[in-house]
Amino acid sequence: MKCFQTAGQKPSPSKALLIMKLTTLMMLFFTVNVAANGFGQDKISMRVKKTEISGVLRSIEQQTNYRFLYNYDLEDIHDKVSLNVKDAGISDVMNLLLGSTNLLYQLMNDNLIVIKEDPNVPVDVVIKGKVTGEGGTPLLGASVQIKGTNIGTSTNIDGNFSITAANANVTLVISSVGYDIQEIPLGGRTEVDISMKLATKVMDQVVVIGYGTASKRDLTGSIVKVSGKEVADKPNTNPVSSLQGKVAGLSVVNNGTPGAQPDIRIRGTVSIGQVHPLYVVDGIFNDNIDYLNPNDIESIEILKDPSSLAIFGVKGATGVIAITTKRAKAGQVTVNFNTSYGFKKLVDKIKMANAQEFKTLFDEERTNNGVTDPYDYSGLDANTDWIDAVTQTGNFSANNISVSGSSEKNRFQFGAGYTHDEGIVRHETLERITVSLADELKLNKFIRMGINFNASRQDNPYDATWVLDAARKVIPLVSSGTKNFYVKNPYGTDSLNMDIYSALDLGLQTAGVINPLVTLENEWDKTINREYRTVGSFYLDINFLKYFTFRPVLYADVSTVNKRVYTPLYYSYNPRTLVPSLASQTTRVTEDDRTWRKFQQDYVLTFKRNFGDHGVTATAGFTTYYFGNFNRYGRSSQANGPTALPIPDDERFWYITNGFQDPSTTSASSDQSENSTVSYLARVLYNYKNKYFLNGSFRDDASSRLPEANRHQQFWAVGAAWDISKEDFMQNQRIFDFLKLKGSVGVLGNQSASRLDGTVLDYPFYPRLNTGSNAVFGTNVYTAADPEYIPNPDLKWETVQAWELGVELNAFQNRLHFEANYYSKKTENLMTYVDRFALGLKNKLVNGGSLKNWGEEFSATWHQDFTRDLRLDVAGNITFMDNEMLSLAEDIPTGVLSRTFQNNGSAESRTQAGHPIGSFYGYVVEGIYQSYAEILASPVASSVGAYAPGDFKFKDINGPDGKGPDGRITTDDRTFIGNPTPDFMYGVSVNLSYKGLNLSIDGNGVYGNEVFRTWGSLESPFQRVNYSGDKINRWHGPGTSNWVPIVSQEHRFNYNGSTYNIEDGSYFRIRNIQLGYNFDKNLVSRWKIRDLRVFVNVQNAQTWKNNYGYTAEFGGDATAFGYDNAGGAIPMTTTFGLNVTF
Amino acid sequence: MKLNQRIFWSLILAIPLLFSGLGCKKFLDRKPLTATLDDLNQGALEGQVLNLYTTLRTYAGFSTLPWIDFHSIRDDDAQKGSDASDGREINTEFETFQYTKDDWAPNSYWGDHFFMINTANNAIYTAQTSNLTDEASLRNVGEACFFLAYAYFELVKTYGEVPLINFPILKPTDAIQPKATVPRLYEFIDSNLQVAAQYLPLTTDAYGSAYKGRLTKGAANTLWAQTYLFRSDWAKVIALCTEVINSGQYSLLPEFSDLWREGLQGAGKNSAESIFEMNANVGQNAVSNSAVYNGTAWGTSQQVRQNGAPIEWNLGWGWNTPTDKLVNAWPNDDPRKKKTILYSGEFDGGPALGGHGATVPAYTNPDGTGGLAQKYWNKKLYTGNDPAMRNYTGYVNNNGDAGWINHRILRYADVILMLAEAANESGDGATAAANLELIRNRASGNLGAGRTIVPVIPFTDQAQMRAAIKNERRWEFAMEGYRFYDLVRWGDAITELSSLGYTNRCRYYPIPQGPITLSGGVLEQNPEWQ
Repeated sequence: MKCFQTAGQKPSPSKALLIMKLTTLMMLFFTVNVAANGFGQDKISMRVKKTEISGVLRSIEQQTNYRFLYNYDLEDIHDKVSLNVKDAGISDVMNLLLGSTNLLYQLMNDNLIVIKEDPNVPVDVVIKGKVTGEGGTPLLGASVQIKGTNIGTSTNIDGNFSITAANANVTLVISSVGYDIQEIPLGGRTEVDISMKLATKVMDQVVVIGYGTASKRDLTGSIVKVSGKEVADKPNTNPVSSLQGKVAGLSVVNNGTPGAQPDIRIRGTVSIGQVHPLYVVDGIFNDNIDYLNPNDIESIEILKDPSSLAIFGVKGATGVIAITTKRAKAGQVTVNFNTSYGFKKLVDKIKMANAQEFKTLFDEERTNNGVTDPYDYSGLDANTDWIDAVTQTGNFSANNISVSGSSEKNRFQFGAGYTHDEGIVRHETLERITVSLADELKLNKFIRMGINFNASRQDNPYDATWVLDAARKVIPLVSSGTKNFYVKNPYGTDSLNMDIYSALDLGLQTAGVINPLVTLENEWDKTINREYRTVGSFYLDINFLKYFTFRPVLYADVSTVNKRVYTPLYYSYNPRTLVPSLASQTTRVTEDDRTWRKFQQDYVLTFKRNFGDHGVTATAGFTTYYFGNFNRYGRSSQANGPTALPIPDDERFWYITNGFQDPSTTSASSDQSENSTVSYLARVLYNYKNKYFLNGSFRDDASSRLPEANRHQQFWAVGAAWDISKEDFMQNQRIFDFLKLKGSVGVLGNQSASRLDGTVLDYPFYPRLNTGSNAVFGTNVYTAADPEYIPNPDLKWETVQAWELGVELNAFQNRLHFEANYYSKKTENLMTYVDRFALGLKNKLVNGGSLKNWGEEFSATWHQDFTRDLRLDVAGNITFMDNEMLSLAEDIPTGVLSRTFQNNGSAESRTQAGHPIGSFYGYVVEGIYQSYAEILASPVASSVGAYAPGDFKFKDINGPDGKGPDGRITTDDRTFIGNPTPDFMYGVSVNLSYKGLNLSIDGNGVYGNEVFRTWGSLESPFQRVNYSGDKINRWHGPGTSNWVPIVSQEHRFNYNGSTYNIEDGSYFRIRNIQLGYNFDKNLVSRWKIRDLRVFVNVQNAQTWKNNYGYTAEFGGDATAFGYDNAGGAIPMTTTFGLNVTF
Repeated sequence: MKLNQRIFWSLILAIPLLFSGLGCKKFLDRKPLTATLDDLNQGALEGQVLNLYTTLRTYAGFSTLPWIDFHSIRDDDAQKGSDASDGREINTEFETFQYTKDDWAPNSYWGDHFFMINTANNAIYTAQTSNLTDEASLRNVGEACFFLAYAYFELVKTYGEVPLINFPILKPTDAIQPKATVPRLYEFIDSNLQVAAQYLPLTTDAYGSAYKGRLTKGAANTLWAQTYLFRSDWAKVIALCTEVINSGQYSLLPEFSDLWREGLQGAGKNSAESIFEMNANVGQNAVSNSAVYNGTAWGTSQQVRQNGAPIEWNLGWGWNTPTDKLVNAWPNDDPRKKKTILYSGEFDGGPALGGHGATVPAYTNPDGTGGLAQKYWNKKLYTGNDPAMRNYTGYVNNNGDAGWINHRILRYADVILMLAEAANESGDGATAAANLELIRNRASGNLGAGRTIVPVIPFTDQAQMRAAIKNERRWEFAMEGYRFYDLVRWGDAITELSSLGYTNRCRYYPIPQGPITLSGGVLEQNPEWQ
């Protein structure tokens, strides 16, 4: 047949590519050489390099009889090719030439070759469509993606989209929050209308689990997912603060200092050492997350049960808070800007005596103490509310911008934020700048690589946590204002006018009490406390063999804190004599540099496949973690002597070596520690017919902090679940849409090693060396290094045996979602620091004792659409919790772990077998002795101290034999008087939306715990402090009070911890009210704005509580918490916000 | 591409395996980034055990007045010294045997010994409960056991029956114990010395290069021999003394007085004759810098007391001085006499006699008005007048203190004389005579067999040799605190001490009233003193 090539047959591109590659190589050596070889049968030999096809065709025309016919405007005819053929037939040459183009050729008679475009070649088609939601409303922001690619877009205000596809036979994937994902095969259509169906399975939520993600449906554990939106627009610098009351089983105890970490515990207090949860931010383990901008958070997951936590091994027992930061989504470039501004106000101020009340009480106290001459108040004529004097209305402002975008190969997200957060104590300000970047690049069909990067600079607030307590101690008779004096310039030889704060009355208040304003106003701006933190990761995602994914990740978290404190020279004046004197006489500089380095690497292999009815996701991994902390501390003071100059009040000189320092006062020290873990992990998620689920996980952790012999510890969990709603017998009922029973059991670990007061033992196996006694041998003197405690070669981490049973269900057309869990956790081998100093014996660090936490969690949400415009969501959760110390290490000599505070240890928390952890301990007050007659008729209390009418009447509870009342009041009559752990905690939220307007109200509370108030009663009797407000109701004669004792510091009897200090810690708080308005999208689209929201938010609007303090929530550590030390005020914060998306 | 992928894969998967195989152990082996006990070459007990040495050096019951009261002043050759008004009650309590149940010296002596016992028990308890079996810790256990035995041996000699505390006091009531019998106490002493002898090193080099004077196996065996001497177990005494002698670690110094010389910066301390010394050190300019003072009151308490003498004679407190009885009984031709007794008003004899070339101010009267209050002083401690050392430390003139002087607790001459005594008592007169001769020849200045002073005493019969050995111990150990317990042991106390008020019950001191009261009747007083 004469050279008639069938149209439409395209040469195989891959073959052509290969040939062309080879030819390219040869092209380096040969030049064009085309030989004609007979009419009609011309053989072609030629070598060309990177020549336009049209040029090649011309060469062929010149050297053969072939002629070509084509449209010179064809794009592909200008493609450059390289070619090397020898004695080739025309069809071979044409195949090579056009193989990688969209061109076809046809050999006509007369050696004419016609070249034209392939009509079947896919050309980019524009597909248009509209996405509508329930009731046909246009859906804005729905994601439209071409399946199998990264090409995507999102719908506009009218629900319309337009997307460019390679052809009209692709499949579109459409998703929108609250709706089921739909896949629409186009089948040649270029216009589609898609009607989305409301999500029927809330349970299909994807949640972050350790080393991967999973559909919540496939899991047997308890994971609660909170959207990043919940924390983004709340006025808290620490995102976890905003979770209070949101999650069953999660206890968040906030405090009012900007940026301060809340006390967070998941499902109770599981250890006598470390109790705070593990943070996992995009896979990286961390102990704090203060670098995170709440606005960068996509979601927060709280992992609570053994089945979810065993994969975290030795860090899993305290629960995990997993945070996922924002990633770019498929679709067009989005720019979001949001800002909020607001103010903080002190609420629930504590009541202290005013000037008149102070005088009344103080004069009475002098009388009580037998002093007859009246106190001379001359010069003390102020009536200052000291708490007002040291507090302010704090401003809060947060500003964030984020840009995200994606192309077929790349997705990226960039965010920047600036936060300015003032506390309610004057000059308490935190400033933070954050930058985040996430980028993911698709290298080819198999490999994606990405980086995440977060950087922050934070100016920490001047440490003013002491100020509230100091303020309430000052008597109101002292002025909080300044007076102008003509004084010698402390930095020079001249004199000048200065405004000077008052000192306290030396006759009344000296030791332990100061005018906080003298220090605060003169020193607040003399501290530079700046933290830089960079956290980042690099990963590859490699898909191979169809079912496998391999993900190596390297993480790093490097942060430094540089703190420099300068002590300036300043005056205060004596309020009585009005003579100023230097309150601070020596300039000093301290420098404190702290560096943290954390490195982590993960290698995780995941296999995911369905075998018929069996679904398996298996994960195996290897991970290492390194933690290093390096601190240096130095100080210097100005030189002494008549010619010495003070260190100037200029930031330039706030360094240890500043040229003004006295070398003999200059000192430096450092401390540093490192630890590392190497771990193997494995997990299998299995389901049968999506009805029966089994999860199993295992982890082996080897820790550098344990002796080599028992360095490895293993942790595991298994869980099972049954989706009853999938069973046939459930198909005919209309109540439940989803019903799942689940349970899991496992052994978790707690890498806890600390002294009883919570200070960490970096190297538990290597005790810190103290300086021992000197021994002499010959003329050599040996200071024996005295180990702090006896190292224990059998040391291991605490283990927690945990199990839970639960149910999850959706009912009433998915309007109700309900979860209930029962959990039980038994911690064993508690890492116990046994203090035996009092016995002259070495302290020990042992594994001993056990502790149990158990409880029930219930949470429910109800969703109701009243009309198309009016919707209501109500959610609530409640957690009942119990805690009991089962046993303590046998080595503890007293059989009790005791933590004592205030003078003489009068405020005590005891951890003892049979009682909740950290229970308060002291006397029980039955009343006040009204008269000597009553004293005579009561058990003798003289072993406690001298006492008289007006003093506490302690209850006779026990004697030295432990057999009940013995007719004497002694230390044996102290007992357990309070439990800092609540009986239950709860949260509620109501969300009402009408068209663009929405209102949400969140509340939270606890019930049944006690707080220990240490102020207004247990201060050192050697320091004079202002009377607390309740002292007005004191006993001052028979019958005047049976609760508040006589005012007298000399009655030391009343300075014993007792039920007088114990208060009900129950409270309920309106945590958050937010009213927001989303502008009509049609309206704002005129200004190219896709979304515009304004809102007003009030945090801590109202608290109902039963104690005297500023607040009822007081954190602490594992064995001592719930102390009200006259601080911790939590402000009411009102913010106004704006959120714009372009 | 496929091939590349495979190579890539293998590499990636190999990383964790490499890690686990090679790097893992290194990655996980992390020691504190500051010194640990290992780095300091110390066992975990080092601190506790060094504390025992410190206790020995600083607690009054071991190295200062109460120890001197119980050991030396109670005998006939030594007296309180000082001046008439200083420590007057000591004359009553120790010179005239009117023992008291409640005074500073007897209370300290009891309490300090039990403090040492508790400290040692705690160290041993630490080792046991923590399974400390490294070499350094075992040595420490040996040291603790030595101190336990040392303290109990002192107690059993002083009081007879005392409570046996061989466990840590975990709560205050644990300390309330009844008395244990004397044989039980010796059994406990034996068990501790057995452990000490097992774990203590032959030489102090085992502790490191600069631990001269630290406890050795020789110290344990010598103390053990002493305890058998007090039980008249001659075979054991012979065996243990022979072991010490055969160890080759010790020898008699050629010059008797060299044993007491300290020299500048302790050159004479821990000599070849010394088996165990309480070590003390006072550094340069210590008088103005307490940081370099690691001294003891042992030397200070026994130096010449200034009283009315010129200020350069402010050397110490002047306790423990020789009696007329000693001076009169001791043959003048024994060179040791002038090396042991310092005479007021006389030239100190210069270096040849252990002096410094000074003339001691004259004795005036018991109050020391206008001069010294004692006729004689303990010259074995006179080294404290070493002008070089006084200038070096700054303890000169008005700052009279001699804190650097070591207490020679166990010395080789005692081993020789114990062997002599035990050999004689077990019928081996030749060995007894031979060993006695070692001491006497050295005392003479190594003049050899033909000498006329401190002549050779050949063995004639057991009683003759016994008397010779008793005399030899009296001279050789004069003022060192051996004599009272020797007299009691020999049964000679009544003969020698009754003129001072001694009766048979005075061999034991009454237990202080404080511990008896605290025990609520569990601890009972010695019946002879009830």
